[in-house]
Amino acid sequence: MTSGQNETETNERRPTPADLQSVRFTRATMMKPGYVDTEVDRVMNRMAEELGRLYAEKAALRDQVRALQAQVDGTVVPEPPSEQAVRILASAQLTADNYVAEAEEFSRQVTSEARAEYEQRVREARENAGGILQAAQEAAAKLAEGRPVAADPGTRNVQELEEQVAYLKAFGQACRVQLKAYLEALLSDVEAEWGHADPVALPPAAPRPPAQRSRRDEEPAPPSTTFESNTVADPPPADSTANGIAVRAGSASSS
Amino acid sequence: MDIPAMRANFAKAGATGDEAPLYFYSHLFLSHPETRAMFPVSMAHQRDRLFAALGDVVARVDDLGSLVPILQQLGRDHRKFGTLAAHYPAVGASLLATLEHFDDEWTPELAKSWSEAYDVVASVMIQAAEDATEQPAWWEADVLAHDRRGIDVAVLQVRPRTRYDYLPGQSVSLETDVRPRLWRYYSPANAPRTDGLLEIHVKARDGGPVSSALVRRVGVGDVLRLGPPIGHLALRQDSDRDLLLVAGGMGLAPMKAIIDQVARAGPARRVDLYVGFRTEEQIYDRADLRRLTDENPWLTVTFAVSEDKISSLEQGEVGDVVLRHGPWLSREVCVAGPAAMVEDTVSRLRQHGVPDSRISSEVFAPSRPGPSVDGEVTE
Repeated sequence: MTSGQNETETNERRPTPADLQSVRFTRATMMKPGYVDTEVDRVMNRMAEELGRLYAEKAALRDQVRALQAQVDGTVVPEPPSEQAVRILASAQLTADNYVAEAEEFSRQVTSEARAEYEQRVREARENAGGILQAAQEAAAKLAEGRPVAADPGTRNVQELEEQVAYLKAFGQACRVQLKAYLEALLSDVEAEWGHADPVALPPAAPRPPAQRSRRDEEPAPPSTTFESNTVADPPPADSTANGIAVRAGSASSS
Repeated sequence: MDIPAMRANFAKAGATGDEAPLYFYSHLFLSHPETRAMFPVSMAHQRDRLFAALGDVVARVDDLGSLVPILQQLGRDHRKFGTLAAHYPAVGASLLATLEHFDDEWTPELAKSWSEAYDVVASVMIQAAEDATEQPAWWEADVLAHDRRGIDVAVLQVRPRTRYDYLPGQSVSLETDVRPRLWRYYSPANAPRTDGLLEIHVKARDGGPVSSALVRRVGVGDVLRLGPPIGHLALRQDSDRDLLLVAGGMGLAPMKAIIDQVARAGPARRVDLYVGFRTEEQIYDRADLRRLTDENPWLTVTFAVSEDKISSLEQGEVGDVVLRHGPWLSREVCVAGPAAMVEDTVSRLRQHGVPDSRISSEVFAPSRPGPSVDGEVTE
């Protein structure tokens, strides 16, 4: 009702202080002294409405002034936060911090484990690859010098190559020993022949020390057997020369 | 200002450990909610740093000569966080509330002392920030290339959108939208170029939020924010001595920048670079270093590996390898890398007889989120 009347009143002429001063109520009848009460009531109502409207307007203006004042001051002057609010926010922040820290720690663990695993595998792979490469290179070198006809290396696996390497090493060792024995025997023969031809040229201690003799006689035997067994196991194409040495060495040492 | 009383009061707050900074930030965010967005989600490191910084200030409050430059640096550096002059009174009010909260014998005189001291600190910081306004508070930079090198290293090419000045060997703080409000320091691996490009080397630290994101999530087209450059690993302008550069791991980046500087600006000098990694496989920038040695006859690069027995490279800690190749007595020396490596190398060179005045070094520590008072840098 009041609001409706306020709207209509904005169109009507509003009561002013002068209006109030000029109000003249009609005298009542002799029977009933004083002003006509209906008139008084109407004026009072209008005044009440106007006052109400003014109060509302004042409140709105006060809010507006505060807002403008706050803008002038730069910031809203806040109430200091209550102890309770500070505690609640602090514990919320701590909870959040702990979750973040846990997530980071988890991420750290997972990545460092993954990295360790990765590095381990790479290291193993590199070591394996290094070993395989080295074995293959050695085998290839041996094959190239000892066995030019060795066919399709592609079909050989590492184990075969390693067997070949071991065999070739033993073969080389046996050759060395045989050759040494042969040369020593040859030297001894030469000395003997020289002695026959010109005995005075020989040093007085003509017989060789027994150690040297025994070495010459005994040592070639075991490598010789190794060599023999190897040639049996896997006769290489270089057989003829090797056997030639073996035969001569054998004959020399037996003489 | 009653300095002894202020120190006693600060000690009470400091004795509570995490409680006082926790109270301070909660108070600040409740009374000024707009400040919350200036901080990262997790406040744990922030709290440590706040009271460490305050402790420094309180310790030096009667020695303004050393305090003022620190405050000026802090004030300039805070611009990139979006700090405005209007934020300083808010921080001051919350600081006083915190100091009062943890002191049973709080007095109005104490409040007055702190208030005065804080006004001095704030005005120095605000003044320094305002003096720096001819520079942007931060620079936006586009990621033009992102090259993964191995499982945890990336080399980024970034271009600031506006002019960005720095010296070779300095470090740049940077932030990515993927990890808002976390700033980390990286050292460009090139001298300033006419096209403005910066080469940034990043190693993903296990569990490191920013480094992991820069290596694994950031890509071409993303935008980074750069703060102003800091750091003091730099060539002496008055010297043209031959150089010995020693890098451990990601310490390589500033050394490349110095080499680039010598190549571009001279003066002509011999440069020998030694770079140490744990394994040969970790050497992430070999191709570009080979290009540099091919182009520059005055440069040699020697790699050392400390945990890789199969490698045919030099074996051992990089400092040890350097000493095996000496003598270096006439050189100017720069050393950068992890703390243990820098310490080891510098002490070996000192024993070798290189004077301290010709050794400059910088520790590249993982994940330290900002400069300390001494201006240390993270990778």
